[in-house]
Amino acid sequence: METIIETRHLSKAYNDRVTALADVNLAVWKGEFIALLGRSGSGKSTLLNILGGLDAPTSGEVRIGGKSVDFSDRKALIALRRESIGFVFQSFNLIPALTAQENVEYPLLFNYRDTAVRRERAADLLSLVGLADRAHHYPREMSGGEQQRVAIARALIGEPLIVLADEPTGNLDSKTRDEIFGLMRQVNEERETTFLIVTHERELGRRTDRTIKLLDGSVVA
Amino acid sequence: MIFDRLIDYLRVSAHQVARKRMRVFLTALGIAIGVAAVVGTVSLGEGVRYQAVEAIKEQSDLTLIEATADIRGGAIQFITPAKIEELAAVQHVEASSAVVREAYTTKRQTYLEVVGIDPAGIEGVIRPKFLRGENLEPGSRQAVLGHDVAETLQRYEGVRFGDAVPILIRRYDEDGMPVDEEVTFTLVGVLQERDDAFDQVMLIDRGVAQELRGDETAFDGVLIRVDQPETVFGVVDDVKALGLTAKGAFQQIESVNQLMDVVVLILAFFAGVSLIVGVLMIVNTMVTSVFERTREIGITMAIGASPADVVHLILAECLYIGLIGGVLGDLLGIAFTGVINTFGKPFIVAQLDDTFSTFAEGDITLITPEILVIGMAIAIVLSLASGLYPALKASHLNPVTAIRTGV
Repeated sequence: METIIETRHLSKAYNDRVTALADVNLAVWKGEFIALLGRSGSGKSTLLNILGGLDAPTSGEVRIGGKSVDFSDRKALIALRRESIGFVFQSFNLIPALTAQENVEYPLLFNYRDTAVRRERAADLLSLVGLADRAHHYPREMSGGEQQRVAIARALIGEPLIVLADEPTGNLDSKTRDEIFGLMRQVNEERETTFLIVTHERELGRRTDRTIKLLDGSVVA
Repeated sequence: MIFDRLIDYLRVSAHQVARKRMRVFLTALGIAIGVAAVVGTVSLGEGVRYQAVEAIKEQSDLTLIEATADIRGGAIQFITPAKIEELAAVQHVEASSAVVREAYTTKRQTYLEVVGIDPAGIEGVIRPKFLRGENLEPGSRQAVLGHDVAETLQRYEGVRFGDAVPILIRRYDEDGMPVDEEVTFTLVGVLQERDDAFDQVMLIDRGVAQELRGDETAFDGVLIRVDQPETVFGVVDDVKALGLTAKGAFQQIESVNQLMDVVVLILAFFAGVSLIVGVLMIVNTMVTSVFERTREIGITMAIGASPADVVHLILAECLYIGLIGGVLGDLLGIAFTGVINTFGKPFIVAQLDDTFSTFAEGDITLITPEILVIGMAIAIVLSLASGLYPALKASHLNPVTAIRTGV
C-alpha cells in the first residue's frame, strides 16, 4: 500500500525545555481513517501542524507523498499546503465575509485555478456535504454543524493527499458531532481520501480504522 | 492570468469591504477631504491663471511677435536675408516683415523711437487702424505716428497731421564730435490707440531708414504676425530654434504661467497636509482590520495562501478605499470650488482693479479633467501606500499562533 505520510524520529522542543514531541515514528497509508488521541498538551496539535507544514520540527524527518519535506524552504511548504494537505479546524474557521460557495472555492484562489473549475468543483463538494441549497448563505446564517460541513468541503477542494482535522467536532453537540464524523467517514469510504483526525473523545476513536495515541509527546499506542 | 488573479482578489476584498461599509466610508472620507482640498485649491489657482491669461489676450496684441538677434554660444545670430526667409516660412506665420530700429529726435529734443518697415509690412503685420491719414508711400520720407507720440508732439511742438516735421539724426565726425543732420518727414498718418509699444513709435519706410543709417543690408529684427493666439507659442519655439530671440505680449503670459506654477504648487502643498491625516486614518483602519482578522488570515495561510497573496488581498481592500476616497474627493472638490465661486469671488474681485475686469465674469476656479484625474490618483496611491504596513504585518503572521490566539 502507498504511504502518504511517514515520520522518522520526529521531535519538537520549545525553548530547549518544553518537549512537545519526542521521537515520533509513524506511517499513514492511502485511504486510512485515523484518530489521533491524547489529552490536551500531549502534542497532538503540534504533530498536526508539523505534518501540515505550518510548524517545523526540531529534529527528525517528515515524508509526504514519498518526498522528504524541507522545512527551511518556505515556498515548498506553501506548495505543500496548497497541493497535498486539506485542513479542518475547530469551528468558526470559515471566512465570515464569504458565502459557503466562496469559502469552498477559497483555497483554489491561491492555486490559481480558473473561475469555471472552482465553481464546478465547489458546487459538487457542497452537494457531497449536503449543502447544495445553502451555497449562497453566509457563515453567520448557518449552524455550527453546517459551517463544519462547508469546512470539510473546503478541505477537499484541492484534492489533497490527506485531510488533517484538528478537533473538528470539539465545539459541536453530540448529535451534530456524530453527523460530522459520519460525513468524514463517508467521504473516506467513497473517495478513498485519507483522514487524520485529532480528537480527545475515545468513543469516536472506536469508529476509525486505527487510533494513534500520544502521551507527553510520544506515541504510546 | 495575472489580471484574472487581480479580479479574484478584488472580488474577495469587495466582500470584506462591503461587510464594513460604514468604517470604509468614514476612512475614505478622511482621504477624500484631503483630495478635495487639493482639487479645490489647485482649481482656484488654475482659474486665476486662466483669467489672467484671458485678460492679457484681450488687452494686448498677442499674435504680434518680434524676432531679434541673439547671442548663442558666444556667436551673434544676425538677422540675415536667409533668416528673414526662414522666418517667413515658419508654420502659422501669416505675415512677416524685417524692420530697422532707430532713435531720432525732434528739433526740440523730443525722443522718437523709430521703426523702419515696408509699407506692405505695416498693413500685413502691424495691422494699423488709422485715426487720421493713411499708410506710407514706399521710398518716400513720410512718417506714421503712434497715438501717444502723436499726441505728445501735437501738444508740445504743435506738430499736426500733414505737417513737414524736421527731425535730427545724430552722426559723428572724424574727431568723434556729434553732428546732427536735419531731415524732413511728412506726417501722413496717425494710428488709433493700441495699448502696446506701437503707441510710442514713429513708423517710416525701411529703405529710407537704411539709407539714412548708411547701411542698406542691416536689419534689427523681424515683425511676425501669427495666424491665431493658440499657435503663438509654437511659433515662438520655432523662432528660438532658428537661434533668434522672440519678444511680444506672449511674454506676459509666460510670466503669469511661471508665477502661477509656483503659486499652485505652494497652495497644493499646504492643502496636501490634510492628506497626511487621511493616510493615518487608513493605516489605523487597516491595522485594526488586520488585528480583528488575525485568525482568518492564519486560516487563509494554512490553506495555501502565500505571504504575497495576503499582501495582495489587503492591498485590494485599500484599493477600494482609494477608489471611494478619490471619487468622493473629486465630488467634494467640485463642491468646494462652488463655494469659492459663490462666496470668495466677490471678495477677490473687489481687491482687483479694472485690468482684471474679466474676473467679474464667469468662475474664478477652473476644474480640468487633469485635476480630477490627479485627485483620483493621489487617493489611490496614498491608500495603497498606507495599506503597505498593515499588509506586510498581516503577511508576517505565524499561521499557528494566529489560528490559536486570533480573535
